[in-house]
Amino acid sequence: MQTTDPLERYSRQMRLPGIGKAGQERLLASRVTLCGCGALGTVLANALVRAGVGFVRIVDRDFVEPSNLQRQVLFDETDIAENLPKAEAAARKLRQINSTVTIEPIVADINRSNIEDLCHDVDLILDGSDNFELRYLINDLAIKLSKPWVYAGAVGSEGMSMTIVPGQTPCLRCVFEAAPAPGEAGTCETAGVLGPAVGVIANFQAAEALKILSGNLAAINRDLLVLNLWDNIIRRVRIAPLAGRKGKCPCCALRRFEWLEGEHGTQTTTLCGRNAVQVSHRRSSRLDFETLAQSLRTSGSVTYNKFLLKFQLNENGEFYEFTVFPDGRAIIKGTSEPDKARILYARYVGY
Amino acid sequence: MAILVEIPPPLREAAGGNVHIQVTGTTVGEALTDLIRQHPALGTKLFDNGQLRPYINVFVNDEDIRYLEELQTPIQDGTTIALIPAVAGG
Ligand SMILES: [Zn+2]
Repeated sequence: MQTTDPLERYSRQMRLPGIGKAGQERLLASRVTLCGCGALGTVLANALVRAGVGFVRIVDRDFVEPSNLQRQVLFDETDIAENLPKAEAAARKLRQINSTVTIEPIVADINRSNIEDLCHDVDLILDGSDNFELRYLINDLAIKLSKPWVYAGAVGSEGMSMTIVPGQTPCLRCVFEAAPAPGEAGTCETAGVLGPAVGVIANFQAAEALKILSGNLAAINRDLLVLNLWDNIIRRVRIAPLAGRKGKCPCCALRRFEWLEGEHGTQTTTLCGRNAVQVSHRRSSRLDFETLAQSLRTSGSVTYNKFLLKFQLNENGEFYEFTVFPDGRAIIKGTSEPDKARILYARYVGY
Repeated sequence: MAILVEIPPPLREAAGGNVHIQVTGTTVGEALTDLIRQHPALGTKLFDNGQLRPYINVFVNDEDIRYLEELQTPIQDGTTIALIPAVAGG
């Protein structure tokens, strides 16, 4: 850039009373881990890197696919042709946008064994994920390490977000004791997703991030924001009184980190020689096959009886067959890679 | 004026495709009972053995019933009850 003042590129942002030169310098010195780089994550990364957040670690387990381009703003057709992982493709684009900040792409599945390594040295954790298993894990770690994080989710034309500051606000489990059962909430694959809906909610998250990182904690949103762009619903519901849920929130009140300690979550086992992986998901209630079948029919063929549900899927020319059991366990045929199976499970069964 | 229940997208199929449903009752519990009377398919979506499912949050005029009086929270004409489950994707 043809400029002598490295802050010139942020001049319009520094003009905001809440930021100024001091706030900008804090942004430049701040560090963030972005968990997931899909629709939410690309919008978040774009906003943060342009704003001058000094260090952004981008962790994602997936590759860029044609169906991503409708909403995942950092990717293009070249990334697909080169078969790039999302974290790497995002980093390449972001370095062209702002070469003065540090971007650290990491291609990995975030789980309870690596999340602390990925997040221990940052000021803020951002949720760019697409599943509740990871969100509860982030929540556990954020409360344990007393780091702020910003949750958001989007499906269909609907999005929601809340900002978690340990000790000051409710945590995710104070508000959402449990995630919807597989098949009950819809995923972006089964229910679709409107690009602008996820863009709006991710930019809302990004604004929260900039407030926190620039030292404006007093300005954060302390409500749960819920919006539906198609139905013209915008709601801010009050959740502040839920903080600690009367001293009984397992996470922030009792400091039992059940997801971090592996009492919940997904386990995978490769079934040798069968090109199949078993995905087990601990859950307390039985799956409702009727609901799950309904949500899967738009993506492939489904049959079920009392004992199991079969779901056949052709995804980008690859064939997969899911056999799902009432306890949430699934055998996914068509891959021998545990990471791929977890992705497919999260995508279609939805956790 | 009436009492309206706002139905989130994942539950709309069980609610005849409606975004808003008018109900009667003097408490949240009564309103939800009337809602299920009108759309029985919502019954098992909202309740499990008489308990609200833990991932369905109920807000009365944007206040969470868990810090009000739960299902006994009083309501009146003009109240909006929003059912808000966690949104998963992204
Ligand atoms: Zn909590």
